[in-house]
Amino acid sequence: MKMSYKKRIVIFLVSIFFLSVLVFAMSRLAPGDPLVSYYGERAERMSVEEKERAMNRLGLNEPIIVQYGKWIQNAAQGDFGISFKYKQDVLQVIEGRLVNTLILGGVGFLLTFFFALLLGIWCAFYEDKLLDRIICKVGTITSCIPEFWLSLVLILVFSVNLKLLPGSGAYDIGQSDNLASRMQHLILPLIVVIMSHLWYYAYMIRNKLLEEIRQDYVLLARAKGMSAGKIMFGHCVRNIMPAFISIMAISLPHIVEGTYIVEMVFSYPGIGTLSFESAKYHDYNMLMVLCLITGVIVIFGNITGQAISEHIDPRMKEPVRMEEVTDSDGR
Amino acid sequence: MKKENVLEIHNLSVSFHRAEGETQAVRDVSLSLRQGEVLALVGESGCGKSVLCKSLIRLLPKGADVKSGSIRMEGKELSQLSEKEMCKLRGEGISMIFQDPLTSLNPTMTIGRQIDETVKLHHPSWKKERRKERVLELLKLVGIEEAGKRYDSYPYQFSGGMRQRCVMAIALACNPKILIADEPTTALDVTIQAEILKQLKEIQQKLGTSILFVTHDLGVVAQIADRVAVMYAGKIVEYGMAEEIFYDARHPYTWGLLHALPYYAKERGGLEIIPGFPPHLTPPPAGDAFAIRDQYALRMDYEQMPPFFAVSETHYAATWLLDERAAEARKLIEERKSRNRSIREEGGNKDKYEEKKEQKEQKKEQEDSP
Repeated sequence: MKMSYKKRIVIFLVSIFFLSVLVFAMSRLAPGDPLVSYYGERAERMSVEEKERAMNRLGLNEPIIVQYGKWIQNAAQGDFGISFKYKQDVLQVIEGRLVNTLILGGVGFLLTFFFALLLGIWCAFYEDKLLDRIICKVGTITSCIPEFWLSLVLILVFSVNLKLLPGSGAYDIGQSDNLASRMQHLILPLIVVIMSHLWYYAYMIRNKLLEEIRQDYVLLARAKGMSAGKIMFGHCVRNIMPAFISIMAISLPHIVEGTYIVEMVFSYPGIGTLSFESAKYHDYNMLMVLCLITGVIVIFGNITGQAISEHIDPRMKEPVRMEEVTDSDGR
Repeated sequence: MKKENVLEIHNLSVSFHRAEGETQAVRDVSLSLRQGEVLALVGESGCGKSVLCKSLIRLLPKGADVKSGSIRMEGKELSQLSEKEMCKLRGEGISMIFQDPLTSLNPTMTIGRQIDETVKLHHPSWKKERRKERVLELLKLVGIEEAGKRYDSYPYQFSGGMRQRCVMAIALACNPKILIADEPTTALDVTIQAEILKQLKEIQQKLGTSILFVTHDLGVVAQIADRVAVMYAGKIVEYGMAEEIFYDARHPYTWGLLHALPYYAKERGGLEIIPGFPPHLTPPPAGDAFAIRDQYALRMDYEQMPPFFAVSETHYAATWLLDERAAEARKLIEERKSRNRSIREEGGNKDKYEEKKEQKEQKKEQEDSP
């Protein structure tokens, strides 16, 4: 059934609301001392009264519901609080880093799916030929290589030994607007992101296509006189597009997540490292915002995925009015 | 008046290569299709009908290939054509209708576009308007009302019968000389089946297309066919004009098929069946593959493959019963048949057990006779 855009937006907002409640409650109920992230080592040397006062000042002594009410009130006005660790407005800390992650994740995402589609079509077209078999084996092996290991090997080979590419950071110091410098720094992390996800999706596409190729309509299209290549692109690839786009939409967070590990190994200043730290040190406000960003990406991905596949596959829409489709056979 | 052959198949053998060994799906088949006739290919499931059809347009499934033999269309050897030439021939020279109309159309593409695709493929120079005109013309030809409205419909909005009509429109888009219809009515219910057959026959007479009609339904054959070829275990066992097959069948398998018609069930109080199962074709049995299921089998049938014996100029059957040495067996069978007939006419029902015993005795006699 086709959903109206209004309905989609409502679903989106409700999901985000529940997500925020969940993250808020869970982070606060988790054991640990949030003061450590604010005062560092000093927190351990504080007396009980001092701690009490600090907690009061940060607003952490009130019941969770009250805390949440205050948080959402401020958030609605665009104030997400300060980061305990950086003692700065949360958005300010995230701002610069989010762009870096989005560049790495976004480019990685697009390239992964671009190559996955090409590879999937190629393998399906030459099913069981030598090249397909080789690609399948190699693909399985590469997809099993852990990201951190691959990152380290690439750094060792390309930046330490060959000195061709930089092994850490997002750009040379003071060159944040220099596109060439950014690109140079992107190459190695991108390779890792693509390599670790490529085959997973390429194989999915390959199998979807093979299923499609065995359909009867392909035989009919062949009997019409269409060449195998034309059928592949004109019929099969077209028909798996809804599935492909759903996979893309659902895996959007998967790939963004995948950049977290890569970011750590390459010391790439993105939100991956930040989320990890904020969860570890109870940097509540930071954690909330980062979780919400990820949540927005996931839910947004799912909803757009569905909208797009409805647009492509006519069967997912409501059928046209029934009077129009009564047929001449009288049934 | 003998019409010209548009399609000639000589000694065609098609095999599947599997781990268990070679499966001979089509064995040494020779057939010819004449200009403007409907040739029905009859046989039970798995006897190689579909494989034979697919080998004609070179669309065999993976693992199957033509082992030997030749397929000629108007004197042109098809196996020598390149894949590109073959693509051009499909649709223009030979086109095909498949068994299941529910799955043979692309579900995500409008009917109009799917027919248009064929027209575009074979007439690349035609403009859009001209192609659309042709598509609408085709839709009308196959009996779809309000073609203009249907042009933008999707297959899921159509019933099975209408979808099969669309598949027919696709197959007829470029006025092919030969139309292979692989059980086109099997998936449809009987009323729609009759309509589609009528339509097909009409179109065939209008366009002069030669049709190779594959089916396992002799009722359908009676409605549409000029000539009939009966296939069993990958081989043609009998072929001839439709009347000759229906009224003067010579092969025991054809007898079995005819007796299995519901028409005979009334007088017999139940459907007659051919006992046993079709043989495995990995490897095929020596001699006549039908022999083990054949109550009239001669010893010769188990040992050597029977050649075709001419019954008339147009009627041939491959069974040793037609050999002159088997005259005695033939006589016995005739006697028994007439006896059965008279018993049936008298309305007396013989005890089943006794009948079987008698059959066994007769079989022994036959085996000793040649």
